[in-house]
Amino acid sequence: MANIESINIDEALRYMGYKDNIDIENIRDIICSCEKKLLSSAEPRYCYKIADIERSDKITVKNTDLMLAGKSISSHLAECQKVILLAATLSDKADKLISLMNVTDVTSALITDAMASAMTEQLCDIAEEEIRREHGIKHTTFRFSPGYGDFPIDIQRDFIKILSADKKIGLTANDSNILIPRKSVTAVIGISDKPLPQKKRGCAVCSMNKSCQYKKRGAHCGF
Amino acid sequence: MDFKKLLEKDYIILDGAMGTMLQKMGLKLGGIPELLSITDPEKIISIHKSYIEAGSDIVYANTFGANRYKLKDCKYSVSEVIQASVKCAKKACEGTDTLTALDIGPIGQLLEPTGTLGFEDAYDIFKEQILTGSDADIIVLETMTDLYEVKAGLLAAKENSDKPVIVTMTFEENKRTFTGCCIPSMALTLEGLGADAIGVNCSLGPKELIPIIDELSKWTRLPIAVKPNAGLPDPVTNEYNVGADEFAEYIAEMNKYGINLVGGCCGTDPEYIKAAVKALSGLEPVKREKNIPSAICSPTSAVVIDQPRIIGERINPTGKRLFKEALKNKNIEYILGQAVEQIQGGAEILDINVGLPDIDEKEMMVKVIKAVQGIAETPLQIDSTDPAVLEAALRVYNGKPLVNSVNGEDESLEKILPLIKKYGAAVLGLTLDKNGIPKKADERFEIAKKIMNRALEYGISKENIFIDCLTLTASAEQEAVMETLDALERVKKELGLKTVLGVSNISFGLPNRGLINSTFLTMALTKGLDLPIINPNMEAMTGAVRAYRLLACHDKNSSDFIEHYGSDVHETTEKKDADYSLEYAIEKGLKEKAREITTALLEKHDAMEIINTMIIPALDKAGSDFETGRIFLPQLILSAGVAQEAFDVLKKSIASSNESSVEKGKIVLATVKGDVHDIGKNIVRVLLENYGYNVIDLGKDVAYEEVLRAVNENDCHLVGLSALMTTTLGSMADTIKLLRENNCDCKIMVGGAVLTPEYAEKIGADYYSKDAKQSVDIAKEVLG
Repeated sequence: MANIESINIDEALRYMGYKDNIDIENIRDIICSCEKKLLSSAEPRYCYKIADIERSDKITVKNTDLMLAGKSISSHLAECQKVILLAATLSDKADKLISLMNVTDVTSALITDAMASAMTEQLCDIAEEEIRREHGIKHTTFRFSPGYGDFPIDIQRDFIKILSADKKIGLTANDSNILIPRKSVTAVIGISDKPLPQKKRGCAVCSMNKSCQYKKRGAHCGF
Repeated sequence: MDFKKLLEKDYIILDGAMGTMLQKMGLKLGGIPELLSITDPEKIISIHKSYIEAGSDIVYANTFGANRYKLKDCKYSVSEVIQASVKCAKKACEGTDTLTALDIGPIGQLLEPTGTLGFEDAYDIFKEQILTGSDADIIVLETMTDLYEVKAGLLAAKENSDKPVIVTMTFEENKRTFTGCCIPSMALTLEGLGADAIGVNCSLGPKELIPIIDELSKWTRLPIAVKPNAGLPDPVTNEYNVGADEFAEYIAEMNKYGINLVGGCCGTDPEYIKAAVKALSGLEPVKREKNIPSAICSPTSAVVIDQPRIIGERINPTGKRLFKEALKNKNIEYILGQAVEQIQGGAEILDINVGLPDIDEKEMMVKVIKAVQGIAETPLQIDSTDPAVLEAALRVYNGKPLVNSVNGEDESLEKILPLIKKYGAAVLGLTLDKNGIPKKADERFEIAKKIMNRALEYGISKENIFIDCLTLTASAEQEAVMETLDALERVKKELGLKTVLGVSNISFGLPNRGLINSTFLTMALTKGLDLPIINPNMEAMTGAVRAYRLLACHDKNSSDFIEHYGSDVHETTEKKDADYSLEYAIEKGLKEKAREITTALLEKHDAMEIINTMIIPALDKAGSDFETGRIFLPQLILSAGVAQEAFDVLKKSIASSNESSVEKGKIVLATVKGDVHDIGKNIVRVLLENYGYNVIDLGKDVAYEEVLRAVNENDCHLVGLSALMTTTLGSMADTIKLLRENNCDCKIMVGGAVLTPEYAEKIGADYYSKDAKQSVDIAKEVLG
């Protein structure tokens, strides 16, 4: 289990639409108590695999039958020879805590839900850092998850299978390709042997720019 | 050779890993290894043979992942793969005494409530595997982490075959599975459901499994199976770090806990099995203690009846108007609130009774059990007089429940005891029969004895039989009070059974009921009462149990008592609040205050006035502050939550005074099928309830038909649907389509992160709601 001692609360507040001029005095105690509860309930775990990639018209992960399809991932990994396949989860204890709060206090449920999202990102940061250190990896891309751009979300099942993520960290996907437990991430991180230019993120450089469902509404897929 | 005969051997040797052997032969990651039974059977047969030569008495056929879900996109059917795999194993066993096991691993999807796979769907998936694998000699369920999934599998095995079933689950070093299942819960549940051997496989090496086997050995009479990994894997090379000889040394060490079936999991090969056989050959099998603690459990928590434990009685409609209303409206949230309140009060087991003449009790019971188990770890007591309701409840209950109840009548015993046996529950017997409740202690004792003997005949073991000697009201039958207690004492001492007593009845019709109740409770505890059924929200009652546990030396070092009462200084740091207004409390998020103020206000104002002149304006202000960016979402919801508290006070007052309801109209809400994100929907619910709408919240992952049914049953004119993922927008469209096809006279509003106004229109919704605030505006427009 990864060790996370505090939650990035600023990030969690941002997920809930916080802006600088808002006075949060009346929810400060709730925030503190939610943080404590989440930290004691969640069981943050991750697993990963480092693999070579091969390019033809699609990218395949060597020694597996996993294909990384789409223009977005292709351009993301343009300079890379290897990838880290990462899966991370806060376990179903986080889900259960939030479900319970939905009964007792929806404000806490909402805040804890946002905190759990922030905590999942923190877990991924820690995982990435540990993997880089362990394997002496210098140059990597940012994390690219199924559902970003045109990287298909229906890869989740195969992704989980290749990592044995169900066995190793208890991560599964349902028929709608939603990761379960809910506070979980799968991601591809490209590894290169030479420095990578700082890749741009965001809608402007996304291949889905014109047809994106999220963007139409002013939302964002995470890319 | 059959399994029974095999059990006469000192040790039964299982096989080692299949996947590891296949990877050594060059199988690609991500491929479906089960297909090799069709495409390359010789390879599979040779692996089985190598284990048989190493000494395996049972080999697991190459069927681990051969289920409908995992083979979804594969060109072979489940039956083709399973039959080919079993054939390979049988072929390898030809001419030997080795048996073939149909190997069943996890489905690969998490079950409800965390996941979206239904219990009965899981059952069907397993059933298909079991029926098509009927040529195997034994059924194995292994590498399981979810007790609910195991229950579905074991039930499917027991109901669709007569073969022995070995069940092994996978634990982490904290002695829990990924879903939090603990060892006692696994053992209590699976032994109850009729597993033939239980144990542990995978995830850890043999050294790390020793403490797990140690604990398991204290909780089961069944043969114990163990299949450790070859240590722990290197994350990159996937090489395991424990060699065959070291592996065998640890196996030998486990012998003292009384293990019976031994094999290997990931990373092991025939060398490990040979080494294990050798290590065990000089050893004597160890017999285990036959007494198992009396306990009931949820997957994550076993409550051992080794001291008085509190059963919460509040989930029961008898005499409760709001509860009855909640049942009629299928307001599960209300019932969940009752569950949480009792647990916080100190309940260790919750009684669940949802019997009401006008409702479908069976359906409601199943719903409530699933919902309560979704949020609470507390084990449940299933309370119904209808055997069909009991059976439905026993089926879907996750863990080992207590059933309330049987009585001394033959009909009751004959109908209910077989269910208790089949589903492995504990049973509560009431000391009454067709002549009613006997007056004298001796007669009640005789009925208790009859119930016990019958239960024993059905194969229910003694630690699972509890007796309730029945409380009569002191005001009506004063002499009967001591008779009840004397009967209880005899049942406890002479029959050695655990005792249960509903306490609150004693004071009916008397003044100062709390005093009578707590005194009677204390008297009963000293006579040996194990399970008082009480209202745990009454401090005097829970307090009496806690104090008794301290004084009777159950609560060692008084630690539980001190935890509850040690810091018993009520904080009064809040400033003087004489001039707090309800509006102020709502704005600042002061729940307790809002409750107090509302109660006080009711003395001078009527409920509708408070709602219209105070609550609604305060909410409107919060709404406009939200829209202008002065506060953000959690603060809006906080204010809404406080208003809710005020509403609760008003509702109770209205319920007791028979004033007409404050509710404006019904709205059905649901997160659509396949989607599990329900925060947004819950927020909408809270706001709508605030404005006085009666929200029928169907929850998350809701089937299309269920939405339709709720709309029709409630004659509802507004439906709100939520979806967060692009992948579940299709479900939203299908739900709307079904409502339209059935000509429902209702407007539909939709919302969720990926929705757009255009898409909402395209799928036939009447309204697109960009946030929770807007849903209130829509409700006002549609329902007024």
